[in-house]
Amino acid sequence: MSETGVGTIAAGVAKAKADTIQIAGHDGGTGASPLSSIQHAGTPWELGLAETHQVLVLNGLRGRVRIQVDGQLKTGRDVAFGALLGADEFGFATAPLVASGCIMMRKCHLNTCPVGVATQDPVLRARFRGTPEHVINFLFFVAEELRGIMARLGFRSLEEMRGRVDCVKVRELSHPKARLLDFADVLTRAVNEEPAKDEPIDPSCCVPDAWQMSSTDEAVLEGARISLKHGEASQTHVQLTNADRAFGARLAGEVARKYGGEGLRDNTIVIEAAGTAGQSFGAFATRGTLIVLEGDANDYVGKGLSGGVLAVKPPARSRFKAHENVIVGNTCLYGATSGKAFFAGRAGERFAVRNSGAISVVEGVGDHGCEYMTGGTVVVLGPTGRNFAAGMSGGIAYVLDDERVLSGRVSKAMVDLEPLTPEDEETVRALVTEHVEHTRSARGAHVLSTWAKRHFVKVMPHEWRRVMQLRAGQESVKRASGHG
Amino acid sequence: MGDPKGFLKVSRVEEDDRSVEERLHDWREVTEHAPEEAVRAQASRCMECGIPFCHQGCPLGNLIPEWNDLVYRGKHAEATRRLHATNNFPEVTGRVCPAPCEASCVLNIREEPVTIKTVERTIADLAFADGSALTPHPASRRSGRRVAVVGSGPAGLAAAQQLARAGHDVTLFERDDRIGGLLRYGIPDFKMEKGIIDRRMEQMRAEGVVFHAGVDVGEAIGGDRLRREFDAMVLAMGARAPRDLPIPGRELPGVHFAMEFLVQQNRRVAGDAVNAKTAILATGKRVVVIGGGDTGSDCVGTSLRQGAASVTQLELMPKPSLVRVPANPWPEWPLVLRTSSSQEEGCERDWAVSTRAFRGEGGRLVGIEAARVVFEGGKMQSVPGSDVSLPTELVLLAMGFVGPERRGLVEQLGTELDARGNVRTDPTGATSVPGVFAAGDTSRGQSLVVWAIADGRRVAAGVDAWLRQVPMARAANG
Ligand SMILES: Cc1cc2nc3c(=O)[nH]c(=O)nc-3n(C[C@H](O)[C@H](O)[C@H](O)COP(=O)(O)OP(=O)(O)OC[C@H]3O[C@@H](n4cnc5c(N)ncnc54)[C@H](O)[C@@H]3O)c2cc1C
Ligand code: SF4
Repeated sequence: MSETGVGTIAAGVAKAKADTIQIAGHDGGTGASPLSSIQHAGTPWELGLAETHQVLVLNGLRGRVRIQVDGQLKTGRDVAFGALLGADEFGFATAPLVASGCIMMRKCHLNTCPVGVATQDPVLRARFRGTPEHVINFLFFVAEELRGIMARLGFRSLEEMRGRVDCVKVRELSHPKARLLDFADVLTRAVNEEPAKDEPIDPSCCVPDAWQMSSTDEAVLEGARISLKHGEASQTHVQLTNADRAFGARLAGEVARKYGGEGLRDNTIVIEAAGTAGQSFGAFATRGTLIVLEGDANDYVGKGLSGGVLAVKPPARSRFKAHENVIVGNTCLYGATSGKAFFAGRAGERFAVRNSGAISVVEGVGDHGCEYMTGGTVVVLGPTGRNFAAGMSGGIAYVLDDERVLSGRVSKAMVDLEPLTPEDEETVRALVTEHVEHTRSARGAHVLSTWAKRHFVKVMPHEWRRVMQLRAGQESVKRASGHG
Repeated sequence: MGDPKGFLKVSRVEEDDRSVEERLHDWREVTEHAPEEAVRAQASRCMECGIPFCHQGCPLGNLIPEWNDLVYRGKHAEATRRLHATNNFPEVTGRVCPAPCEASCVLNIREEPVTIKTVERTIADLAFADGSALTPHPASRRSGRRVAVVGSGPAGLAAAQQLARAGHDVTLFERDDRIGGLLRYGIPDFKMEKGIIDRRMEQMRAEGVVFHAGVDVGEAIGGDRLRREFDAMVLAMGARAPRDLPIPGRELPGVHFAMEFLVQQNRRVAGDAVNAKTAILATGKRVVVIGGGDTGSDCVGTSLRQGAASVTQLELMPKPSLVRVPANPWPEWPLVLRTSSSQEEGCERDWAVSTRAFRGEGGRLVGIEAARVVFEGGKMQSVPGSDVSLPTELVLLAMGFVGPERRGLVEQLGTELDARGNVRTDPTGATSVPGVFAAGDTSRGQSLVVWAIADGRRVAAGVDAWLRQVPMARAANG
């Protein structure tokens, strides 16, 4: 997002081997986003772009990345200014959308887009009349206008134009406020003392060493070789640091390549890890994999979890109360589809966002827990942050609410809060027992031993109840016809 | 938008017209007004678009999505207020407007638009019935400025009402014996019954408008005198000079301008006696109407009601296509074939026909000679050997109007004209003569009622702004 200081961030991102840096201007954004975001986020793209380009050039980083800019770009003139201020690529959204049929109804969030652009309703989608040619045609006009501007300025390519702020003239404006504007910083031409570093973009820059396999990845694949080859059980120990990002994802890929979505028998591949895991620990772990981490993990634990089992617990010798401390970061189980995850401690924000089938036990979550969840089960043995269950249309959450504060923290638009049925009690008890087995959680054990005094609340989405009733109906019909 | 999915559940239902047999026996309005419940359902189809293209379609900028929603929710009083916020005479547009709003309705891209015009008329009619539309809104403070409005068509009426509400003393002069312009004497009762004009006049009187009918400005009072006696002046005289067809036989009795014919019938319906010697009647005659537009269509309906033996309507331009052509995309006004209620009532229509001569026998009209034409590269060419001759006893010329009458007032004031012969105005409606403004067909050329009302409102704002600038001297002199 274009704002003051974005250049510094860009420099960091470039050093971290990003391929492309995207500068988004303040007047873009989907019509479906909240007004606060549409109207109060960021600055004009010109400012962020100029700063980014300048900082990268001055630090000899410009050749490593492409800069893309967007935010209501609509004309060849916009592209020309983007290039002169330092951009290589240009994002167009609204205009091509309009070219293909969007009429700015601003009903993207209601599923009633009458021209079938932003809707899932098949009746309305049938009305969509856009073609790729419409967009191509529009972009040809943009290119044609740009070509004219380039010819006038004497440029043969966009590369030549990049960063040539000397070609930008400030128009004299009579408005007294406009006269207060000082464009000097925006229109400073950044030059690096070491000319070699201000070189054109090296296309090979996008195949960085990040793509090479880390030693832990290698160790895990090596350890699991017999499992991968013959489906036999294996066990591996690794030590992790926060530089180990997406730990286990490569293994998951190999399992999926060989065994498909079915995966392996439970507990075929067991990995015992220790240390602080980097982002996306256990991402996409497949069925048959059990990964136990003694230590803690960064954001995105179990992202896209696909049948594997994860357990994260504090080291046995730790003295702190696990359930009062955060053990995994934000956005854990993002988009998980199946599998289980047990966390002997609290998780950060947006826990299990967009989870569609995974089962998890955790000892507390931050804001926006279970957001947009569509399936699966989440047991929270501790406090939740605000806005719990926002947009949750499926799955069930069971929250331990001894203090009776949950009601004030739930976004109730789509869910009901209700007591547990005897079957629910069974389910939760079994899950907490499993949690204790995997993580030796003191909290879990305590809850089990004081079960009768505990107050759980069931968070039930309205849609999910309807789906359940429909399924139950279909089942009984099947059963009846089976008998008949 | 009470119901965001209304447009998916309810389909467009237009109001029924009374059966042809029934309606040809009277002069009452053709349309049978739908019950309120049905109109509510129709209003629910409005999607309250983020960018309401109907706003662009309606020259008045009517707040269409707002009042659609209010009607859907049954809030009639509020709907009446919102409707009158932009439109002085919705009871008129709700009847005679061709509804460019509906053409630009977003639903008209792929299916059928909201019945905006019907909703508009329903709000207006309900508000007429309970009197709320007719509550006078006199200005709380009078400015002491005097404004003369010449012409009482929709442009003059709207300008007068707006100016009176702004606190100015408005005097409206009309050449005809009754107020209303083409609303009164052009448009037939079967499209719009005339009682509604009289009720609006009561409201305007209460707001301070003084009506002087039967005063031909330029004849009875000179333009100069008006300029002296009033602080400002609005010309809303319409565009009454008809386009003629100067071909052999034009002088034959039986060849008439449409307006001569229509005015007479409107007078008869109003209960006036029409001199038998000058009366133009279609009864028992084979009628040919030359001109395919609104005026022509009104001649068709009027002739049929008078009992014409047959009616044929000829149009010079080629027959338009039945559906939009790609070069004429939404939200443009679709140039497609339209059939008016009058044309439905039994009339032959023919296109690309150019009339060459009127044939007379013994000093009486007996027929016309015509030829088919084609348009090539924008030029009209007659098709050799395509001559047609039609027997007829009455020809009505409805070929449009060429602009305001220049003789008289326009000449006296010396206002500049534009290339098409209309009075030239700036965006505020001011003419080249200080303090003289123009609106409606006078400045725009032959157009629509909705444009006339929009112009009237705009010119009133222009006059008001102008009066605030100039010193009071003139009023004192007068
Ligand atoms: C037959 C016919 C049918 C039509 N049907 C429709 C329709 O269905 N829908 C639609 O939207 N539009 C229709 N129109 C067009 C519409 O009527 C006009 O665009 C509209 O009335 C113009 O309004 P106006 O106020 O500018 O002028 P007018 O309505 O023409 O009013 C001008 C008035 O000024 C008076 N006047 C002129 N000179 C003087 C003078 N010197 N002193 C005093 N008074 C003077 C005239 O007597 C007249 O009363 C139709 C037009 C005709 C002719
Ligand atoms: S005045 Fe005419 S265009 Fe405007 S809303 Fe009414 S019918 Fe539509």
